[in-house]
Amino acid sequence: MPTTVRAAFAATLLSAGLLSGAAAIAPQAQATTPRDALVMAWNLDALITFDPAQIAEVNGNDIIRNVCEPLVNYDLTDVSKILPNTAASWSVSDDGLIITLKLRPDLQFPSGKKATAYDAEWSMHRVIHLGFGNSANFTQWGFSRDNAAETIKATDDTTLVVTLAKPYPIGLILSAMFASGSTGIMDKEEGLKNARVTDGKSDFGNAFFKTAPICVGAYRVTRWNTNEVVILERNENYWGEKAKLRRVIIRHVPESGAQRLLLEKGDIDVARLLNTDDLRALAKNPAIHVETTVMHGYAYLAFNGGDPILGKPLVREAFRYLIDYEGLGKTILEYQGNPRASLVPEGAFGALDIKEGQPFKLDLAKARALITEAGFPDGFTKKYIVSANNIAPIVAQHIQANAAKIGIKLELEQMADANLFTRARSRDFEVLQIGWGAGYPDADSMISRHAVNPDNRPEARLAQYPSWRSSWQDEKVNEMAEDARMERDPAKRIAMYHEIQRYMMKNGPMAYIYQTVRPIAVRKEVKGFAMTPFNVVYRTAGK
Amino acid sequence: MAGTETTARPAAGESPAAGMRWLKLAGRQVASVAVTLLGLLALTFFMGRMLPIDPVIAIIGEQAEKETYDMVFAQLGLDQPLYVQFWRFIRDMMTGQFGDALFTGNKVADDLRRVFPATIELATVSIIIGVGLGVPFGMLAAVYRGSLLDHVARFIGLLGYSSPNFWLGLMGLILFYATLGWVSGPGRLDVMFIDMVEPVTGMLLIDSLLAGEPEVFWDAFSHIVLPASILGYSSMAYISRMTRSFMLEQLSQEYITAARVKGMSRWRVVWRHAFRNILVQLVTVIALAYAFLLEGAVLTETVFAWPGFGRYLTSGLLAGDMNAVLACVLIIGIIFVGLNLLSDLLYRTLDPRTR
Repeated sequence: MPTTVRAAFAATLLSAGLLSGAAAIAPQAQATTPRDALVMAWNLDALITFDPAQIAEVNGNDIIRNVCEPLVNYDLTDVSKILPNTAASWSVSDDGLIITLKLRPDLQFPSGKKATAYDAEWSMHRVIHLGFGNSANFTQWGFSRDNAAETIKATDDTTLVVTLAKPYPIGLILSAMFASGSTGIMDKEEGLKNARVTDGKSDFGNAFFKTAPICVGAYRVTRWNTNEVVILERNENYWGEKAKLRRVIIRHVPESGAQRLLLEKGDIDVARLLNTDDLRALAKNPAIHVETTVMHGYAYLAFNGGDPILGKPLVREAFRYLIDYEGLGKTILEYQGNPRASLVPEGAFGALDIKEGQPFKLDLAKARALITEAGFPDGFTKKYIVSANNIAPIVAQHIQANAAKIGIKLELEQMADANLFTRARSRDFEVLQIGWGAGYPDADSMISRHAVNPDNRPEARLAQYPSWRSSWQDEKVNEMAEDARMERDPAKRIAMYHEIQRYMMKNGPMAYIYQTVRPIAVRKEVKGFAMTPFNVVYRTAGK
Repeated sequence: MAGTETTARPAAGESPAAGMRWLKLAGRQVASVAVTLLGLLALTFFMGRMLPIDPVIAIIGEQAEKETYDMVFAQLGLDQPLYVQFWRFIRDMMTGQFGDALFTGNKVADDLRRVFPATIELATVSIIIGVGLGVPFGMLAAVYRGSLLDHVARFIGLLGYSSPNFWLGLMGLILFYATLGWVSGPGRLDVMFIDMVEPVTGMLLIDSLLAGEPEVFWDAFSHIVLPASILGYSSMAYISRMTRSFMLEQLSQEYITAARVKGMSRWRVVWRHAFRNILVQLVTVIALAYAFLLEGAVLTETVFAWPGFGRYLTSGLLAGDMNAVLACVLIIGIIFVGLNLLSDLLYRTLDPRTR
């Protein structure tokens, strides 16, 4: 054979050898994760900061609650109950305006430095001053940049005195404010030392804490390679029972199939982003178990109240009979959600029970009767915008098909989430399918945003209120919600929330489809991984 | 080569007129590249701003209120007229920083220092596989045209060309990672090796060798081999088909027959005559294939959790983050212009007629 042919063949074989050669030469350790680490795969795309004042997305929030613990925390078995945390106890003045929190005397930052009420005070002030979305955890209760110094005050190393603008029920304030991620105790000294000042305005250490917040918590962030990995190390000076595992490694694996393979192979312990098919397969694997948590979030339809057709309550009611809650629950929603039509999620304080919270069923005749009564016996045509992600388009097609049966033509348009959010926030839709997560497990969280609308004028631009986005306002509901918010008798408050939910199910601008579910697949060797809709606790996980 | 030198650059002792001519030529070339790139940026910027995506939401979250929104909106300079925003981007670009990437919270330049080497590494290993397999396959298929070998090469090529990389990636992972255990899974390194070597080039295969860490090298190698083979496979398919058709065209020429008649052996003719003549075209094909790989392969990067350029650009686009998108577009523009220039130069070296 001439040398040229030999060369050609050699080159071919050499290249082919690259692949199979890897098998022969690359040393392949049997895949297992380190004994002292919890390895988790997730999609870290949305993570942009670890500063608790700024975090506005699910993943960052999940991580930060293990790094910056709030003053009080939700009971792991029932989130409508509140337990002491870094604050060991609290008391309320008789007029309900002054809350005095007693912090634990043994709080330390990971370095061993003592953490005090002065750190806590500064940490809360900075959230308000920075003014990111999380500042609403305070501002919605009347705290502001102007009054923060007087209303949130440390009086000694362990005492924090908080003065409310109105005598809100203590249960609500604990749940909505003190248990939120915005009450994590950060290192004031380091924050002040490393603050950047531009145009005379301090950033309160926002840039400094971005990659490594110094906080009181079971873990600390030691490494964050954007879109690659986040590493947490155990805080050896933690006040409570120390974390069982020395490290938590969170790998960015943005694809479900890849996560499943890594989990099956044992290269990760926990998979956080899996689609239904992969979850079904993993549930059958004896080495893995799938845990689901019913979240306080929703997928819902919003109607533009400014539309001459969709503005009619009867038309919106008809849509509720076009959703096959039962059928969806048995099929598409496996591992994804629980059908629910009331705006307050099951598990929250003041929620209607499961049965009353979902009274609708697919009923084409009823829906047709409702649109006929509304004056549209032949139906109508509307544009329907929806995210292109996950199961959203499938749910939309399901509703579209049912609507078509009674003459309502829905023109679906799928789009990227950022695009959908932009359209929603600017009232630029007719029918919109979107999601929402409640901030705290109290009926007030959803009602104060989805039912209440303080100002319906377009120029008010209250995009944080889905009610405003839907151009929908009802003075009666505004009053009912305000009354409930101020009611200090828990039993009465529950009854008031029930009434609002019933009212909204009939008249509201949304049709809630399902309460979201968070599936997490965990290898069986990992024990004690605890989770609620608001926390995933890494500290208790062991192997 | 003397001719090239007089037109391309002034040799020592040449007249000042020739030097001026060269300067003018070079200046014109640089200006045309600059105008092309600026046009590309302007087009991308204004088109991007027409997208109905609000970049503020990536920072503040979807549920934030008006005050937060207005604060960040002004901080980003989005309250300024479009041309001011564009000018600011150009100004930041001149400093080499490209401003802040909203969807990662980092400087765009820092992000690029991280994602681009990851893609260069992957693209380079891929193109080595693509060329190493594609050229010999194409040659053999041309020489043994119509034989079983030709059909097999065509079938393999067609498969590589038409199978979606996303699917191939998952299948590859199931077979070579999950079932056979020959290669490592998604990611660039095992968790125990992360941050073990200091990034110098950002390419782990090189950095691990520089740091004298063979274990890290092998781990990085066992991670890159599968995604690179999959990307290399599609390049191979393209390169081998092109090689085959270039070769067939040459082999049907009369000078080939003449050489054979003169008694030259078949492979000597193929190698000495035909192959040399297709080299110029082949270089262009390979340069283009490499450029496409350098753009990043978003689906392959997603399946293999490869923190590369393609996914970075796509995420930036989906978040409406124009700083990141423009920087990426500029890099892609430079790659294409650069590779074009490079293949021009190679033409001159390889093709005696252009000298």
